[in-house]
Amino acid sequence: MNTALLEVRALHKHFAAGPAGWFKPQPVVRALDGVSLQLQRGEVLALVGESGCGKSTLALTIIGLEAPTRGTILFNGEPMQRSNKSQLQALRRQMQMIFQDPYESLNPLMRVGEIVEEPLLVHGSEPAPTARHARVLRALEDAGLKPASEFAQRLPHELSGGQRQRVVIASALVLQPALLLADEPVSMLDVSIRAEILSLLAALRAEHGIAVLFITHDLSSAAALADRVAVMYLGRIVELGPAQQVLHNPQHPYTRALQAAVPVANPRQRHSRVVLQGETPNPAQIPGGCRFHPRCPLAEAQCKANDPQLQVVDAGHSAACLLLAPK
Amino acid sequence: MSAAPANMWRNAARNRLVLAGAGMLLFALGLAMFAPLLAPEDPRRALLATTYTIYAAPDGQHWLGTDDAGRDVLSNLIFGARVSLTVGFFASFISVAIGGSIGMAAGYLGGATDRALMRFTDVVLVIPDLPLAIVLVALTKPSLFNIILVIGLVGWTGTARLVRAQTLAVKERKFVHRARAVGASDLRLITRHIFPMVLPLLVVNTVLVTSLAILEESALSFLGLSDPTNVSWGQMLNYAFSRGATSSGAWWALLAPGAGIVWVVLGCTLLGYGLEQILNPRVKSHHLMRASIPRISAVQSASPAEAEAHALLEVRGLSVDFVAQQGTVHAVQGVSFSLRPGEIMGLVGESGCGKTTLILSLLRLLPAAGRITAGQVLYHGRNLLALPEAQLAAVRWKELAIVFQGAMNALNPLLPVGRQIAEAVERHEPSATAAAVAQRVGALLEQVGIPAARGRQFAHQYSGGMRQRAMIAMALACNPKVIIADEPTTALDVIIQAQILELLNALRKELGLAVIFVTHDLGVVAEICDTVLVMYGGVAAEYAPVNAVFNEPQHPYTHALLAAFPDFSRRHKALVSIPGQPPRLHALPPGCRFAPRCSSAQALCHAHQPHLLRVGADHYASCHLLQPMLPAGSPLPQPA
Repeated sequence: MNTALLEVRALHKHFAAGPAGWFKPQPVVRALDGVSLQLQRGEVLALVGESGCGKSTLALTIIGLEAPTRGTILFNGEPMQRSNKSQLQALRRQMQMIFQDPYESLNPLMRVGEIVEEPLLVHGSEPAPTARHARVLRALEDAGLKPASEFAQRLPHELSGGQRQRVVIASALVLQPALLLADEPVSMLDVSIRAEILSLLAALRAEHGIAVLFITHDLSSAAALADRVAVMYLGRIVELGPAQQVLHNPQHPYTRALQAAVPVANPRQRHSRVVLQGETPNPAQIPGGCRFHPRCPLAEAQCKANDPQLQVVDAGHSAACLLLAPK
Repeated sequence: MSAAPANMWRNAARNRLVLAGAGMLLFALGLAMFAPLLAPEDPRRALLATTYTIYAAPDGQHWLGTDDAGRDVLSNLIFGARVSLTVGFFASFISVAIGGSIGMAAGYLGGATDRALMRFTDVVLVIPDLPLAIVLVALTKPSLFNIILVIGLVGWTGTARLVRAQTLAVKERKFVHRARAVGASDLRLITRHIFPMVLPLLVVNTVLVTSLAILEESALSFLGLSDPTNVSWGQMLNYAFSRGATSSGAWWALLAPGAGIVWVVLGCTLLGYGLEQILNPRVKSHHLMRASIPRISAVQSASPAEAEAHALLEVRGLSVDFVAQQGTVHAVQGVSFSLRPGEIMGLVGESGCGKTTLILSLLRLLPAAGRITAGQVLYHGRNLLALPEAQLAAVRWKELAIVFQGAMNALNPLLPVGRQIAEAVERHEPSATAAAVAQRVGALLEQVGIPAARGRQFAHQYSGGMRQRAMIAMALACNPKVIIADEPTTALDVIIQAQILELLNALRKELGLAVIFVTHDLGVVAEICDTVLVMYGGVAAEYAPVNAVFNEPQHPYTHALLAAFPDFSRRHKALVSIPGQPPRLHALPPGCRFAPRCSSAQALCHAHQPHLLRVGADHYASCHLLQPMLPAGSPLPQPA
């Protein structure tokens, strides 16, 4: 079997939440509580879940901005943690991150050309100035900023939200990465511009074979872009499988609740639905047994006692629920 | 100040404080540089005992008189500027270099380094500067070099704290995270991303540190700790004071050096404050900040007979302008709609299309620069725009309540949530007893799904969804007939959003509430609204029942919006984005607002603005390409 582009094995990331008391242990937020997933070359995997479920922490840990508490991250079969600094830089060059807020993620004092050029300078991958400049222009064009030479001269405040997000994408593309980690890349953008950025990401995958880990809380965007979907709840993946199956034939009760909550953009299909009550518990106090059982409409006695693991329910489709018959 | 630093220097040239301060300092610098040319005498020249008078009053020969040794005070003053400015410049350079490095290192590295460096800074800070400097200068030889060194070494603490705070703030900004994710080294992060953002603040600080250094030098010299080979202003004061200038009435010997010190320090202070003004411009009025007096012009009064039979709220041809520096901006133009009891109207549009301006103008809550230039807002047939402010206040909140965007910021963090709801109840029912108010608050909380007991808690103990519920409870406090909800679910997760939508729907059924629901999410509109008003560039693009908008959209913009919306329920739908950008209100196209982005635009569309046409039973759209429905029923009033 080919090695996956990215493989995450039993990843844990714990944060200290406040000081330890004299008589009580230090409270710990288990932001990632045993996450495992694989991403193939050229694949788009959507990571969906509500705020606080650990989606962003996962991306920051993969790219190395947060150190994992336990677990392994393999990129092209090579472990990220054990690499020495120069090897780590080489791995990093192949994965780039796109942040949520295009208004904040560009240095207001740098011109667009300098922003896009920076990754090349940092990694020293194109020492000759003319070749470097050409690559900057190509990346701007790939991100849909034409004419590129004109955009290169602009300052961020002269651009619209969609154009800024394109600059962020261009500066990620310039190193010709194999993987993009896109953390809510469209949630701050207007509807008309959102479609534009989603189409751009789809085109990059089709033309350059770039794999995308697409983090979103919006199931509609996930449905529009992803090959596979992973659903996270309280630091764990509770369902993982092909996008159409997970989104339209969900197996885990939480995924079903998420799906039911998505507004349907057709007033004729208005349905009286069951809305999941309550809110996501504090990740510092993850419930025992199945972590979803206090909110689960189907919970039984065994759900309070046993912590379910992901089990295969169909080809390539698995879910972590005790009520599912294993296949 | 995100975009400001780039313009800082240009703005500096226009700021009066900066110009005045810089002018004063340049004048002093000129005196210092050309002292040998400007001064009538060389202060270091030996004088013959017969040729001078001590403390001679100012006259034609000595414009500022002479001092205790018979030297020309004006010459001393001019040469004294050299010492003051030299000390000020070099000492502040030392202070800023030390303080800047320590602050930057502490802020950037954080953790134990930060704690150690800041404790050290605190220790240095609590030692009083001047006594320390006196001791140090007294112990060493009071030469110019030593004075500079001592002042520089004791004066860096303020800079260190300032730079640390700014570094901490900049370090957490997204673009620094992004650069780090790219793999940039610490050195690059500091020099390329953090330092340029700290620099403007550092410049302001340097100017103020300079003035402190100059004052300190003067104080040291006045105490006799000056370099005896160089004239300085403090030294002049010292000699005049200790050698009988006061008793002999030689005010000029004291006044001249005093004025010199004041001149330079004032120059520095003005320059510093001016630069600070440019750096942190206090926003005089945000465009959504309410003005003290709402201004209305050209408002017609309406007779109730004209109002639509069943309408609770009817808006006719409402236009709002903003008076800005660049000229008048037409934020809303000729918008009309009507709302029946129990109806939910979706107000849809992209950012900057005039949604928020429209709803604020309904209650005359527009900011200072806003002007309602035309139209009527009829509530039960009464024109709210023509009501005196006192009568309007009774309608506001009691009849029409607004749930604002961003529930986190709309709740007071220092008061229990229940207390804030009680305030809203009390304001409109002043006669209610405390027990009745408490009961009502409990009932309101339960109504929006919050246990009454949690009314004692504070906003920070609530989750995002609960805060939004609390805001709705507050809006319900006075039994309003209309609730205007400005993007109430935008920041919320999908399940919480569904809960809030369900709540609004239930309230509409129970209480017969009419709701204006402002959103840019078409899914939410399809889910909950009865009618939809699509706004684009300040005008109504389409206004129709929700089924018609989603299934037979008429306006090309509505078409495009629906095509761009990733619809979860329809698999394999290709997303079609709308080319171009939404129009900016200060640069609206001359014809149809949507023409520049419209795929079917024709010459007519670029030249003339279309009117709102009646294209179906209750269906209105403003597009040149549509045919109006021929059997004209009752078209909406057209803007003049």
